[in-house]
Amino acid sequence: MPEQLWFTEILNHLFSGPVTGLLRALHIESQYPQAPVSNAVAMELLVFLFLVLLFVLVRASLSVDKPGALQHVFEGAHGFVESQSQEIIGHHSERFTPFLLTLTFFILICNLIGLIPGFESPTAVPVVPLGCAVCAFVYYQAQGFRHHGIAYLKHFMGPMWWLAIIMIPIEIISHLARMLSLTVRLYANMFAGDMVTLVFFSLIPIGVPILFLGLHIGVSLLQTYIFVLLTMVYLSGAVAEEH
Amino acid sequence: MSRQEHDSEKRSTWVQLAKYSQLAFVFPAATVAGWLMGAALDRWLHTTWLYLAGLILGIIAGFVELIRAALSSESK
Repeated sequence: MPEQLWFTEILNHLFSGPVTGLLRALHIESQYPQAPVSNAVAMELLVFLFLVLLFVLVRASLSVDKPGALQHVFEGAHGFVESQSQEIIGHHSERFTPFLLTLTFFILICNLIGLIPGFESPTAVPVVPLGCAVCAFVYYQAQGFRHHGIAYLKHFMGPMWWLAIIMIPIEIISHLARMLSLTVRLYANMFAGDMVTLVFFSLIPIGVPILFLGLHIGVSLLQTYIFVLLTMVYLSGAVAEEH
Repeated sequence: MSRQEHDSEKRSTWVQLAKYSQLAFVFPAATVAGWLMGAALDRWLHTTWLYLAGLILGIIAGFVELIRAALSSESK
């Protein structure tokens, strides 16, 4: 049985039966039928619930006359993401802001939750950054098709028609490589951050780990920014007019 | 220089930093993606050589992405 966090234990206690049943229905045999929910999935679920609660709170407290602190924070974050996407994608980028902002908050909270004792960063497990990268990949491809229609496929054919036979596999590989590089970058940085903090905590448990926790906060912010910014770069490529 | 121009320039530096940070990942990621795709096709089609073709295409894709990034930065 793997080591479980308290929240994972609660989820497994409550839902191990239905989850194992669901996995069997999908022809997936759980390695631990008594504990099919992993720490990463439990933490993701917790982040999801936290974000839903946060968004409901913000929505309920929206005010034009007297904006509260939470509204200021969210307006600031929205403004920042919108200005970045405006700079990279250009005009009409505001329709992508809801997705980009949700991605930002999800990754940031996933990165930072590991700083609280009793929790761990789900982004330090490869499947979670992969999930985020798959979302970004599917989103920018869908936006490409939405913007250009079937003509979006020309993106994959290269500048000359006779090059298409070689350019199509190259383009497919380079698009898949984007997904892989988004995944590996986020996972490796968060995993390394956790490991460094853990190693120094086991060597010198007083004082020094605080420095590395500070470093972890910096890395969390930077990696969230890079992930979202690269998603914007890929989006701008997908919806660009010139080929 | 106005405050707005200064902020915009600062933002662009961050954007450039994030864009160039991906260059280190592009080449290995494209190579691995090509190899994985070839290996998956090998398993699916019961062949033994597609992983090599995927690997070579992955390396080419990595170079193409690098050259594109270099050309786009040059044009700016």
